[in-house]
Amino acid sequence: MDEILEKLCAANGVSGAEDGACEAARALLAQYAPDAAADRFGCVTGFIGDRNNGKPTVMLEAHIDEIGFIVTYIDEDGFLKVGNCGGTDRRLYAAQTVNVHCESGDIRGVICTLPPHVAADNKDKTQKTSDIAIDVGFPSREAAEKVVSPGDRVTIDNRLAKLAGTRRTAKALDDRAGVAAVLHALELVKGRELPYNIEVLFASQEEVGSRGAIISAFNSRADIALATDVSFAYTSDAKKHECGVMGKGAMIGVSPVLDREITVELKKLAADKKIPFQTEVMGRSTGTDADDISVSHGGIRTALISIPLKYMHTPVEVIDTVDVEAVGRLMAAFLTGGEGDV
Amino acid sequence: MSENKELFDLTEKLSKLCGTSGDEGAVRDFISSRIPAGCTVTTDSIGNLIVFKKGAQTPAKKIMYCAHMDEVGFIVTYVCEDGRLKFAPVGGISSSVVFGRRVVFANGTVGVIAAKALHQLTSDEEEKQPKIEDLAIDIGAENAEEARKYADQGDFCYFMGSYEEFGDGFIKGKALDDRAGCAVMLTMLNEELPYDAYFVFTVQEEIGTRGAQCAAFTVKPDIAVILETTTACDIAGSEDEKEVCRLGEGVVVSFMDRSTIYDRELYRLARRAADDIGVKNQTKSLIAGGNDSGAVHKAVGGVRTAALSVPTRYLHSPSCVMKKEDVTAVLDTARELLKRLGELQ
Repeated sequence: MDEILEKLCAANGVSGAEDGACEAARALLAQYAPDAAADRFGCVTGFIGDRNNGKPTVMLEAHIDEIGFIVTYIDEDGFLKVGNCGGTDRRLYAAQTVNVHCESGDIRGVICTLPPHVAADNKDKTQKTSDIAIDVGFPSREAAEKVVSPGDRVTIDNRLAKLAGTRRTAKALDDRAGVAAVLHALELVKGRELPYNIEVLFASQEEVGSRGAIISAFNSRADIALATDVSFAYTSDAKKHECGVMGKGAMIGVSPVLDREITVELKKLAADKKIPFQTEVMGRSTGTDADDISVSHGGIRTALISIPLKYMHTPVEVIDTVDVEAVGRLMAAFLTGGEGDV
Repeated sequence: MSENKELFDLTEKLSKLCGTSGDEGAVRDFISSRIPAGCTVTTDSIGNLIVFKKGAQTPAKKIMYCAHMDEVGFIVTYVCEDGRLKFAPVGGISSSVVFGRRVVFANGTVGVIAAKALHQLTSDEEEKQPKIEDLAIDIGAENAEEARKYADQGDFCYFMGSYEEFGDGFIKGKALDDRAGCAVMLTMLNEELPYDAYFVFTVQEEIGTRGAQCAAFTVKPDIAVILETTTACDIAGSEDEKEVCRLGEGVVVSFMDRSTIYDRELYRLARRAADDIGVKNQTKSLIAGGNDSGAVHKAVGGVRTAALSVPTRYLHSPSCVMKKEDVTAVLDTARELLKRLGELQ
């Protein structure tokens, strides 16, 4: 699991420029789905089974993109102005080390913010993205333009690191942890005779409005979809009823937009197979790709299984691999129709 | 021209070491191991490393160079029931460079500092930068008992900031304040000197120039030169005097900061020394900051003091940024200044 997470999180794929992450995910998926490929919309798809065997098809879905910045302007002193790709956390901008993903390769930079003596009245306020700039160590616009272009994406770098026990931290665990859970499910059912065909979708542009999922679900022939994303794990400053608990297993989503029967089936499977799980109840839509997949075509019966994650949309997101494995096991249990161990 | 490779090799190695105020051992050990034979080396009771090196001549005035070994860091103050570690900053650290960072302990334990997700913030909370006292380190422990296996009250931890070169001759790293100064002094110590000099690697600068106070008493210099870093704000959104000083414009010679009014003659002598050898030099356009000079110039009945600094962006963060040519300018000026100080009667 660590090796897979390390590969997936080290790869870069800010919304609309998912190529690096797509290639990492495609290479891992190809072990199970030989036709695995990335398309021009930044989605990775793969198929396991036989289109002519008459079996229903289950889609396993996670999003492949991550939040980041996009370069909008290069000022005369060589500093980069940026906009958001997805919701970045404004509380952590100052002096972060970033990678700017340029056509000729990645370069390093540091986010600069004005120190207190210059911005005295703003000392206790969070920075707006429009207020920050990126210092890439070039003295002029001319020098910077030789390397950087508007439209280049920017990520805050953090490779996977081990915390206590089975907890891990990295950038982009939202939703590479979901991708890892799908891959774990495929590993568990590898070589088994299944009552379903499997479609895999790692969708682009979730962070800017599930655009990859909308595009790809149109081409899908799935009857059922199991989507996985991250959700909030409890931290002491949050409200308990709005969070799952880290380390307590797969969060089975209950929502008006999700298929009731499959959701109940997942809970039953989790209980039968002793897979740790918790319930996440949402009064409306889920804020994940599941919302759009479920209304694709004439409707795809969709369930959502989430991974509790702390510090969402920061470069220090934290997950417990126990929870990632639980999600993978639950997907595998569903794919096997509850037959055998997972 | 200076031996850049050696200087920046030292800067990189020193930047990667962890040593906040009161925990400078690893830095002191490294520096000790690089001091050439023939020097007189002592570690005093507070932890300063005091090195005396003979030069070609003995100057009329006793000369002391200083750079501090400590960096800003964190100390664990309390282990919460839920396994989080409350902490205090050691030295001045802004909450905005703490939020969303990783820290590392001497035993390799990694922790992260953040709070509830931005999606869960109220609109008021979104506008407010969290205060350091409201934050905690999460090492992934589920409770206090598990946490104590990894870290406990009184343990120090550090920013994780990689050392890298980037852009047009720039470097970034943690603790460049003031390991760059240490690297300059170590480089000088490994050269033939025109005059005898003391080189003091001080402790506890970041919590009130406490090491320098003791070192000045022990060495009793007539003249002190502090090698430091100083805030440069030559960044987007800042102009004119608010930039304070600029990267790429050479060594910063200070006439006054918040702790010291520098010796007028030494200020002029340092700038002239740089000018004469064709080294770029500048001064600060704002009375801001402070360094070991504050303690040294008031010690033992008064010590004539000058400060040579590397202009540095984002001080006291995991990503201090310098331009290499400015570090070289500090080294060149420090060398030339020693010649001229030795001639003073």
